[in-house]
Amino acid sequence: MADIEPTPGLPEHYFRHEFGRLVSVLSRRFGVHRVELCEDAVQTALLRAVQSWPQRGLPDDRSAWLYRVALNEVLGGLRRGKRTDTSADDIDELVAETGTEEGVFMENEVKDDQLRMLFVSANPEIPRESQIVFALKILCGFSVEEIALRLFQGREAVYKRLQRARSALRDCIGEPELADVGQLASRLPAVLEILYLLFTEGYSSAQPDRLIRHELCEEAIRLGKLLEEHPVGAAPEVAALLALMYLDTARFESRVDGTGGLLLLEQQDRSRWDRELIQIGISYLHGAARGESFTRYHAEAAIAAEHCLAPTYKETRWPEIARLYQMLDSVSPSPINTLNRAIAIAEWQGPEAGLALLEALKAPSWLLGYYLWDATLGELYRRSGDSERATVHLTRALDAAPTDAEKALLRRRLEACSTCSDRTANVQRLHG
Amino acid sequence: MSTTQSNKFLCLFRFAAAGWPAKPSSPQEMQAQYAAWKAWMTKFEKELLPGDGLTPAGAVVKGGNVTDGPYIESKEVVASYSLIETTSLERAVEIIKACPVGMDPNASIEIRQLGGYGG
Repeated sequence: MADIEPTPGLPEHYFRHEFGRLVSVLSRRFGVHRVELCEDAVQTALLRAVQSWPQRGLPDDRSAWLYRVALNEVLGGLRRGKRTDTSADDIDELVAETGTEEGVFMENEVKDDQLRMLFVSANPEIPRESQIVFALKILCGFSVEEIALRLFQGREAVYKRLQRARSALRDCIGEPELADVGQLASRLPAVLEILYLLFTEGYSSAQPDRLIRHELCEEAIRLGKLLEEHPVGAAPEVAALLALMYLDTARFESRVDGTGGLLLLEQQDRSRWDRELIQIGISYLHGAARGESFTRYHAEAAIAAEHCLAPTYKETRWPEIARLYQMLDSVSPSPINTLNRAIAIAEWQGPEAGLALLEALKAPSWLLGYYLWDATLGELYRRSGDSERATVHLTRALDAAPTDAEKALLRRRLEACSTCSDRTANVQRLHG
Repeated sequence: MSTTQSNKFLCLFRFAAAGWPAKPSSPQEMQAQYAAWKAWMTKFEKELLPGDGLTPAGAVVKGGNVTDGPYIESKEVVASYSLIETTSLERAVEIIKACPVGMDPNASIEIRQLGGYGG
């Protein structure tokens, strides 16, 4: 369901976020190997709320209400499953323990539980592609269908990935405690990777629905802030990733025109960039500039900051951006970095300099089939006046472009290319 | 309308036992459902009396014999009821049609006018 209507009396995404909070709290109490039981219990509690709340009004403490219902569900499930639960030794104890408590919990404990769950999703036993699916399900409260829609994967594939994560956790009775800083620190890179993937999936995916994409960006930022607020997240690369996410989000809305067409950086209305978000991003970037570490997040955030702070496209500090792409390549090598650096160099020293860099690159075959490779070459040839080569590459890019918006953009460039070739022909005629 | 009759209507919400819920709702969908029910109840606030959901626990007494389970027929489950106090059956139908499951093919809602025989 893509449209989120404001719900009377409830914050946006309340049910979804509450799902993540409660599953995290219950899994800490009963063990991540019982995460599925906890998910079912919370699902039931939310369903009960849908039936009861419209009728009776919202309870004073909604979270405590849901927690009590979910807790009883878990306890019921434990009693029923006692014979089949292989880790059943602790069940009587767990049931007795919870019988006496009040069911109140502190807000900061809940945050810790969610953070802990984030580190659980980065468990090295869980395959990488399952980690992000698991985080979206458990921490963000998305259903299998909703994840499939957001990650452009089939329902079946998402379901299998989720099951793989759950079965990897079935044997993990001793998942990390937040106090266990050593073990957590070793998982920090994987945690950041999950958040980065979540964010870029939302920011640059071909998903045509902007609301859906924005939601993924919001989730990545929400979890990133949760991490950053805790001592465990006090690493400079966490601040760098947050900087990157804020600086990109500031430009999110300006990337499309009134009809949903894509706008290039050059064409974007810079007055639509969100100054407040840029400020937050810059202050995170300052916070990231400590210690020895320089990660890909540092480089990417610094590039985003250069764009955000440039008063106009023309006044962008292209030499600095070219240098940052080189630094990015040294910590996270990829020919895509060279592709991007060539664009910066073309702006700085002219299209021929950019082309020289790309022509010197031994591009792997996957890059040659990538539409942005052809799009970039096409554009640079067009600018250098080689309309013949430009047309070849732009046509190839147009064929491979994944979305209608990108196809439309490339078609405009191709048209510009034919007008430019007419003009070149005219010029040649005049001078010839 | 005869004067002995009450102007109250009992609405029984039945769902196909196999089809309810058709698939587990996601938290996001549940929030949308909550919003829809809340909006319905607010809109007809003056005519809706407190109703309730029904749990699966229950029993059937027939000829002095008691069987478990609330279902006389297992094809349908009565999941909840509402009471409407309004001017006519037509108006009650109108209100029920506007409710979030009023158009759901898996749901059927039986509306019965209360007799008011109790005096």
